[in-house]
Amino acid sequence: MTQPIVTPLSQALAEGKLTREELKSFMRRSDGPALQKLILWVLVVSATTTLVTIFWDSWLIWPAMFIHGVVLVHHFSLQHECVHYTVFRTRWLNDLVGQICGLILILPHRFFRYEHCDHHTYTQITGEDPELVPLPKSLGAYLLYLSALPYWRSKFTEVARHAMGNLNEVEKRFIPKVAHKDVFWDARMMVGFYTVAFLGMAIIGWWGLIWYWLIPLFLGEPVMRFIRMTEHVGRPTVAQMSENTRTNIVSKPWQFLCWNMNYHAEHHYVSSVPYHALPRLHEKLKDHIHVEEGGYFAAHRKILGQVLARG
Amino acid sequence: MVEQKPWRDVIAAQALEKNWVTRVDLGARRLAIYDTPCGVYASLALCNHGGADLCDGYFDGHVIECPLHQGAFDVRDGKPVGAPATRPMRVFEARVKDGMVQIRG
Repeated sequence: MTQPIVTPLSQALAEGKLTREELKSFMRRSDGPALQKLILWVLVVSATTTLVTIFWDSWLIWPAMFIHGVVLVHHFSLQHECVHYTVFRTRWLNDLVGQICGLILILPHRFFRYEHCDHHTYTQITGEDPELVPLPKSLGAYLLYLSALPYWRSKFTEVARHAMGNLNEVEKRFIPKVAHKDVFWDARMMVGFYTVAFLGMAIIGWWGLIWYWLIPLFLGEPVMRFIRMTEHVGRPTVAQMSENTRTNIVSKPWQFLCWNMNYHAEHHYVSSVPYHALPRLHEKLKDHIHVEEGGYFAAHRKILGQVLARG
Repeated sequence: MVEQKPWRDVIAAQALEKNWVTRVDLGARRLAIYDTPCGVYASLALCNHGGADLCDGYFDGHVIECPLHQGAFDVRDGKPVGAPATRPMRVFEARVKDGMVQIRG
């Protein structure tokens, strides 16, 4: 018999960490919770946008833009959930919201989806996982990663390459041929969207989007890099999900912003479980995964300890 | 005229997980049997993208979603309806007769 590949989920079921009935209950989807949360989400974005407006003529616009940016970059968490089709029960809503988040973040949605699938197949395997962030070799490399400069360089290069109809060898591995055109189309749409936005600003002589959107995005991205490092960096580069991924216990506001993706090991165990069920899944799996009780900062203390020990 | 393959019993209809997917091993084949609002359907159980067992996936209406990458298929005809699934999955004719789910093919 052709055997299925062993996934963290099939292992968890085989080892009795999770029963089939529990799995079905955790996977249950609905449009309601996410639609309600999206209303709150829009209110939060509106509040931070207002903050930027209030401090428009003051130096305080910079901290206001930073706070606004921290909220903006968390569209990544929502987009990530949409990649997994777990935000809404209605599948096309996940595609729509994911595309919108992608436009906000300059991260084409369908490309991210293919790349992220490969990340789930080869989590933390050096040379295979396309999203793997290696443990920095020095304090300088650690700070450079957190600056988000390498991230933006890579993203701009990626979008330009795809808009020109090219894929690199790694991308060809995880994007099926039939989807190449979709990836190119999304990148061209992204370039077109931003070109129209800039032309529109030039024509009407109002450059507000730069202050309300782009500068906050660049100011906020280091925070997202800080958070994303805590998911896998410093954990063993092995296939065992109980080892290679870190769950971080964080406060409710962070949980709200990151759509519960701090429960990252649980997410990797069963990626079909919607964000709102992850805290319940955590209660089932917490003894079988790596949990950082001290949250993002404790995770970084450990990462930094490892980085400095290398030097 | 091509002779059709015979119907084969695979599982008692009562043993199916209601409105969900049930795993059945039939000889060398692992099958996924789907209980849907419009009848019973059957396919090979392993996703043709990454090889994960679809029987551990999320099932809604007539769409089965792979538990590993959330690629999705319409179980009525095997058509891929969500990336990274791009090729149709192998489906079988299925029916319920005398309390047994039967497949042909």
